[in-house]
Amino acid sequence: MSIVLLAASLMILIGPIFINGSKAFIFRSTIEFRRLMLEEFARGSPERIEGEFNSCRQARQPVFAMLARFEADLDRMEYKEKSGYRKPFRELKDRLRLLLGPLPGEPEAVMLRQRFGQTRWDRALLCLREIQYQEEWDYSDSSSMGRKVYRPRIEEWRGTSIEPLFSYLSRNLDAMLNPKVTFYWRFLFDTSRDSHFFGGIWPEILGTFYLTIGTMIFAIPMGIIAAIYLAEFAREGGIVSLLRSCISTLAGVPSIVFGLFGLAFFINAVHLSRSKSVLIGSATLALLILPTIIRSSEEAIRAVPQTYKEAALSLGASPIRTVFTVIIPAALPGILTGIVISMGRAAGETAPIIFTAAVSVGNPLKIWETLSQPTPALPWNIYNLATEHEAVDQIRHVQYGMVLTLVLLVLLLNLTAILLRARVSKKLHG
Amino acid sequence: MKEKQNTLILSKGASRWRRLASFCLQGTLLVVTSLSLVAVLFIIYYIARDAWPFFQLNGLKEFFTSTHWYPSRHPEEFGALSIFVGSGLVTLTSILIAVPLGIAAAICLSDILPFHVRQMVKPVIEILAAIPSVAFGFFALVVFAPLLQSNGGTFLTIAFLIMAFPVSTIGLMIISKLLADRFKKDAKAVRIGAFLLLAAPVAWGMIRVCHILIRIPINSGTNTLNVSVILAVMALPTIVSVAEDALQSAGRELREGSYALGATRAETIFKVVIPAAGSGIIAAVILGVMRSIGETMVVWMASGNAAQIPDPWFNILQPVRTLTATIAGDMGEADQVTGSARYHVLFAMALCLLLFSFLSNLISEWIVNRSRKKLGLK
Repeated sequence: MSIVLLAASLMILIGPIFINGSKAFIFRSTIEFRRLMLEEFARGSPERIEGEFNSCRQARQPVFAMLARFEADLDRMEYKEKSGYRKPFRELKDRLRLLLGPLPGEPEAVMLRQRFGQTRWDRALLCLREIQYQEEWDYSDSSSMGRKVYRPRIEEWRGTSIEPLFSYLSRNLDAMLNPKVTFYWRFLFDTSRDSHFFGGIWPEILGTFYLTIGTMIFAIPMGIIAAIYLAEFAREGGIVSLLRSCISTLAGVPSIVFGLFGLAFFINAVHLSRSKSVLIGSATLALLILPTIIRSSEEAIRAVPQTYKEAALSLGASPIRTVFTVIIPAALPGILTGIVISMGRAAGETAPIIFTAAVSVGNPLKIWETLSQPTPALPWNIYNLATEHEAVDQIRHVQYGMVLTLVLLVLLLNLTAILLRARVSKKLHG
Repeated sequence: MKEKQNTLILSKGASRWRRLASFCLQGTLLVVTSLSLVAVLFIIYYIARDAWPFFQLNGLKEFFTSTHWYPSRHPEEFGALSIFVGSGLVTLTSILIAVPLGIAAAICLSDILPFHVRQMVKPVIEILAAIPSVAFGFFALVVFAPLLQSNGGTFLTIAFLIMAFPVSTIGLMIISKLLADRFKKDAKAVRIGAFLLLAAPVAWGMIRVCHILIRIPINSGTNTLNVSVILAVMALPTIVSVAEDALQSAGRELREGSYALGATRAETIFKVVIPAAGSGIIAAVILGVMRSIGETMVVWMASGNAAQIPDPWFNILQPVRTLTATIAGDMGEADQVTGSARYHVLFAMALCLLLFSFLSNLISEWIVNRSRKKLGLK
């Protein structure tokens, strides 16, 4: 029963992440997406996209014509009637801008997101729905909470030249945006544009990569040396048991406390770098995963059969030689398993890097800049985009894409570990 | 004792140079290993050093007893009681969910399921443990919270049934067994009769509770319940693997001895194996508590972050704020360089968390050591 629940909770958790995450990579892109790719990343053939865009523009022409005609009508109206239409008309134009990009004859917008219409077909359909229906809250039933109702917008435009616009839009949206199924694998390797409205997540991936590698550079030597000492040289006694309880204490410290420690020690006390940096983040994360590496390596070293060691010693090898030429190679797969698992942990930890390494927006770093500069990183930016971004709802696909990337990364690392371990146990048990 | 012989020690006849080299090497290794000791000491020192000014300025009383958390108002108020209550409530709820499930799963894994199923379940648990906390938090915020907000009653009912059904079934079985033991004749018939008789009112009661639960509206999807469920799922792998290790290490001889005395499988599990593994199970629970209370991202994203004591205090459908989330969220606003009171109060919170984790670590180590001595292992 509880096992089933465990498996079910894994499925429930991973299911939506996989389904929605894949939409960041495979989706129906509109002509606006292809124009964006051409202008920002210089991809695709200009002639073909221009051709496609021209046919789209033709399909859009009637919409703009209707708007122009209504504007002309508006000038002829009485003042009172006119003022009633002004606000809804402005809103309608805003919505259309969101769907199709800037209306003809308007000056070029400052922000990139205002220069293009909807790049994704699913978002375009949502936009269309928002044009056709106004979302309102109905508070008529005072005993319960307000209810959401959708009021067709067409009602307030009855008898004007705007009226045919709504049916025209829903019939011809295909022709206006020309959706095509796209496999946007470059999502992983593109830099982001206009704070993640467009483009990919390369800075985050690179940042996570730097942080993980940096963490490993600090943690692997320390961890393995400590494991060798504890497994092979240490004589059980006061000091060693103190060390052991320190290691388990370190494993129990909440991750956010590591973050504060990194801030108070590495930045404010030692001044390792002037502000947050990848270096500091890596050092903090290394402390966090040190206990994991020590424990798993020690276990792996202890699992090496006694006979190996005795054979090496009886051949006249010194203890040091025995350790480095016999025991470590024999324990290597086990040690690697632990390292791979803790790599996954380091890649996914968020709390320690908030104060020590992560920034919300940044460019991909050069390798020497990691010593002094902070970086965007997958876990932090998932948090940031999901809670603090100015348009959380409009970039859900980017968030899901990031989560999927991170989860896949960690799962791949763990799969490697599981396979490695299976090989080890096969070797040991014949 | 066996350990000692296994360590690599040079024989008496080794030359002086080799002795010296070996001594140096061991010294270096010891120094590197001590880094973890140094790290622990430094963490305590640097956290306490930055927490000290806060206690010096504001004292202990307001921090621990007041619920007025207004760090950006003038004059500032740093009453963290509601935040402590929030942390405690979230941890308690998640542990109440995770411990029964986790221990049941551990018993299943170690004593009931066949070996090849166990081999399949282990990777599932590992993967669940490996998923980054921010992914859990994202799920809680984006998927689970809207779901809870729109169909809260249904979710509560299903959760109640999942928890209550097995518990009440096992409870009824035990009660009817106890009743049946009093009758020498027709013990089996009495047992079944008692079970059915008692099951009827229990089932009726459960249906009544469901009726009430399904009508409870949930105003905000980001609340204690949401966070606790997710934290329980996150704590489960820890609890299951540690408890399973403890149950495994209770040993084959113990089980076989129990079977030899004529005990059934259920009797063996409940009266022999679980008491023998008791300390390990308690250690598992403590580890689960530590995991829940130290978790940051999930509670920061999905607990609602409202510094208030729920009304009544056990109302898990209201948003709360926890220590970890406060540290993570307020540090961005606190002046990091000059070290204002706002900056130091967060270190004071971290110090509390740190002390709590030390304490639970000590307790769990003490319990494990004591039981080892009791079982005669050293």
